Amino acid sequence: MFSRNKNQSLSVSTDMMKKQKRYEALVKALHADIFRYAMWLIKDKAIAEDVVQETFLRAWKSLDSLNDEGAAKSWLITILRRENARRFERKQFDLVDIDDVSVADPVSFGDVVLEHRELRRIIGNLSEEYREPLMMQILMGFSGDEIAEQLNLNKNTVMTRLFRARNQIKEALLGDQTKGEQVNG
Amino acid sequence: MDELSFRRTIYAEPNTNDPDIIQAAKDDPAKQAFWDDVKAMDAQLAQAMNIPIPENFADKLILRQGINEFTQTRQKRPWYIAMAASVAMVVGISYMTLFAGNNGLANDVFAHVSHEYMAKELAMSSENVTQQALNEKMTTFNGALSEEIGDVVSANYCYLNTVRSLHMIIKGEKGLLSLFVVPQSQSQDLQEEFSNDELVGTSFLLASAKIIIVGNDQEDVSQLQQVAQSAFRF
Repeated sequence: MFSRNKNQSLSVSTDMMKKQKRYEALVKALHADIFRYAMWLIKDKAIAEDVVQETFLRAWKSLDSLNDEGAAKSWLITILRRENARRFERKQFDLVDIDDVSVADPVSFGDVVLEHRELRRIIGNLSEEYREPLMMQILMGFSGDEIAEQLNLNKNTVMTRLFRARNQIKEALLGDQTKGEQVNG
Repeated sequence: MDELSFRRTIYAEPNTNDPDIIQAAKDDPAKQAFWDDVKAMDAQLAQAMNIPIPENFADKLILRQGINEFTQTRQKRPWYIAMAASVAMVVGISYMTLFAGNNGLANDVFAHVSHEYMAKELAMSSENVTQQALNEKMTTFNGALSEEIGDVVSANYCYLNTVRSLHMIIKGEKGLLSLFVVPQSQSQDLQEEFSNDELVGTSFLLASAKIIIVGNDQEDVSQLQQVAQSAFRF
């Protein structure tokens, strides 16, 4: 009886080790993409970090339900979006939350080239319905069909939003240029 | 393909594999230029989206999951382990109260009467302890010896666990006997007659003190008991 228990617990612990390895591989491969996605979705570093941690915690808990490693990215995005939505459910009960009142500063994304900073400002100013499919396409490399599935929209709607997103970005860039010329001229 | 639908498709999906689009771009350099332009903008967007990751973020995610797993396994510790721990504790405490209580002093007495211990005590004291020396030691217990109780070869203060006692070793007819004087208040739980495989013991109360006599031979013990009962005065 005791030896059988021991064997069982042994196999349980090897299962745990396998799960742990699988999880660590998942984190290492995808944490950067998932964090960036969360950052663009939420536009607040501290909240984004929290949501990503919650996301990976849930991923760990239900790792057994992920059968295809190739689908891991969209699986994690699904969890992340659900966790983020949960944040808004919770928020209804808060009376005042300074974090929610403050407007994200695109400069706080960090560093870099002026051009990028300008682009970041423009991306950040896109409304979420345009920004999110664009992130999925550029950052996550999702196809139109995958985006449609994630956002629960039909593909035509997704394509229209992607078109409008790039159109708005282009216009914003052109607007900056003309503004710049006006200042210079 | 008309200009508008070409632009719409490219704007929606710059990396499209649509053969119509590819053909249209081949046929029209202006369309190809527009496509290249959008691709370049996408490359810029991709770079702009590449915001830096917090330091050691991956480690944090792994660690946090580890902590969570730890607390989870703690919570999942089966109920019967808690039950077993409780039972063990109850058994332990009852053992201590039942046995250490009743037999504690007797066990300590037996320990002091073991051959090795007796040998040590004998080595420390001069043979033939005088009546006067005994009485000096007896004053601690507010008592005295009014008559000889026998051939006392050793008299020392001893701690029976935490109980201070006067331990006398007295020659009996068939071997050495031990006589302990202990305060009554600290020896209430000792039985009158007690014994183990080798030794027999008896105890009786004299005013504020209890006299305990232990030896190998029942007769010797009884004899000393009779002598002690009349010799001690408290």
